[in-house]
Amino acid sequence: MSNLSVFFKGKIGNLFLNFEHHFKNDGITILYGPNGSGKSTIISALGGFVNSIETRIIFNGIAIHDTHKYPPNKRPFGIMFQNPILFEHLSVEENLDFVLKRNQLDTQNKSLKSKEYLINQLELNSLLKRSPENLSGGEKLRVVLARTILKHPNYLLLDEPMSDLDIKYKAKLLVFLKDFNKKFKIPILYITHSIEEISQIGDQIVLIKDGKKIDSGSVSNILNRSSFVDLTGKFESSSILEGIVSRHDQNLHMTTLDLNGQKLIVPGLPGKLNDIVRVRIRSRDILLSSSRIKTQITENELQGLISSIEIEKNSAFSELVIVLKNFKNNRKKQKLRARITTYNLKNKKLFIHDNVFIYLSSVSIDRQAYQSK
Amino acid sequence: MDIYHNLGSDFTSILITLKLAIVTCFFLTLIGTPLAYFLAFKSKKTKPFIETIVTLPLVLPPTVIGFYLIVFFNPETFLGKTFILLTGEQLIFSFYGLVLASIIYSLPFWVQPLQASFEKIGRDTIRTSHSLGVGSLDTFLNVIIPLSKKGFFTSFIISFAHTLGEFGIVLMVGGGIHGKTKVIAISIYDHVEQLSFGKAHILAGGMLILSFIILLTLFYFNKRTVVRIK
Repeated sequence: MSNLSVFFKGKIGNLFLNFEHHFKNDGITILYGPNGSGKSTIISALGGFVNSIETRIIFNGIAIHDTHKYPPNKRPFGIMFQNPILFEHLSVEENLDFVLKRNQLDTQNKSLKSKEYLINQLELNSLLKRSPENLSGGEKLRVVLARTILKHPNYLLLDEPMSDLDIKYKAKLLVFLKDFNKKFKIPILYITHSIEEISQIGDQIVLIKDGKKIDSGSVSNILNRSSFVDLTGKFESSSILEGIVSRHDQNLHMTTLDLNGQKLIVPGLPGKLNDIVRVRIRSRDILLSSSRIKTQITENELQGLISSIEIEKNSAFSELVIVLKNFKNNRKKQKLRARITTYNLKNKKLFIHDNVFIYLSSVSIDRQAYQSK
Repeated sequence: MDIYHNLGSDFTSILITLKLAIVTCFFLTLIGTPLAYFLAFKSKKTKPFIETIVTLPLVLPPTVIGFYLIVFFNPETFLGKTFILLTGEQLIFSFYGLVLASIIYSLPFWVQPLQASFEKIGRDTIRTSHSLGVGSLDTFLNVIIPLSKKGFFTSFIISFAHTLGEFGIVLMVGGGIHGKTKVIAISIYDHVEQLSFGKAHILAGGMLILSFIILLTLFYFNKRTVVRIK
């Protein structure tokens, strides 16, 4: 398992960075925080491009940056900067070869992450002879990603790679990244502002604000925590649920998930049968009722228990954390965060430790990429 | 016979002028290129100071530069002495004195377009290259230089054309010695002084046409490059 420990301390422009973290997994770690919180600076500093601050980087026992420091071109990272650049004097294929030529690998890994594999996966075939000048934003991004991987890094650092991409391709590329990460066990540090992307590919997440680490942990845990809600704002607040695919309806393009004995029907056909699929539910799209509503208005009805209620000051809203009923009696607890008006809360007479029926409109469920087991 | 002789002398001036322009550009490549790179990427605090020095020849009267060069080229000075020791010749009134003067005089014309071109490529490109495992020299030779082809082209053309047209400094430092330091611009001046307008026409017209062609080539191939001369 790869082991990256970093420490940065110092002033860069208006930002005072004081960040320490131990990245200890082979999955995808999200770095999340508001603009100007120091996310991109951390990636730059890892790459060796910030020299004015106190820095310590230890990767798998090797001091990359301590009293002695490796120059940027000798570091084991593959970096995709926020505004990726292709060398414009070279064609797409020459861009790939340029990097490949300078980063030859031993034969054992070569065949796996080969140029052909990437050309295939990222659909670059028709672009190879073209000049970078004539590529669209999304095409450019795919080429840059392939080029970064061809450096054969031991750790990928991606700074908002999808911001320039259309939705259709975004989904594909996220699946590629997830697969790539699993297949080659190359950990990824991923900066994004999109909660959709976080829930789709993130394993771990580190929250950062004003140059400091606020919180860290697994995505499904952190997204339900108040530290995360504080960063995103209540309006974007959401929860991630995991379910097992129990049925695909090919005609209507709907999938039934099993959440510890409760049924959740989501649009699309993610995963295969018995795969674990993640869905994200926005807190503001949840309706609660203390009794079952006979004429169901949505296809999704879940049952749970209110575990906390927070009435927001100076606002019309209240936030409730609901623990979903587990009918299978395994230990797995799933939590849902709901945001309803305090008026509604009083009106419906909902109290802590009450049983509730939860109604979700189908539109409130994002189509998410899935994690095959 | 006299006419033939004079044509021959003009031809010598033309050869000296071209040789001067080529040798000057050669040394400008060696000196001006690193300087432009330094100004574009490396210097921070010292940048305004160095830029000022490099740009001075653009605003100073040629006679001022000429005067100081004469002072520094004096056989009594370190530079003058060293040159005599090395070549047995005085630096002042010599062809290499001219070259040195031209380098200084044309330096802003080499540095500025190239610096602009480097700045346009930007630090991000260099950073990207380094992050991809490409070393500094490798990046300079295989990324920066190919990407700044237009900048080099512009610098070369402008410096070349500018060296062709020097007059004041060349006259002061070189003395206009026939066959040695007499360039076209001085030949024209001599012809006009002697009221030989016919010969002056030939040389002046030639210069006009040549400069026109050189600049046209530049602007034709370099449509998008802004020639930045302060």
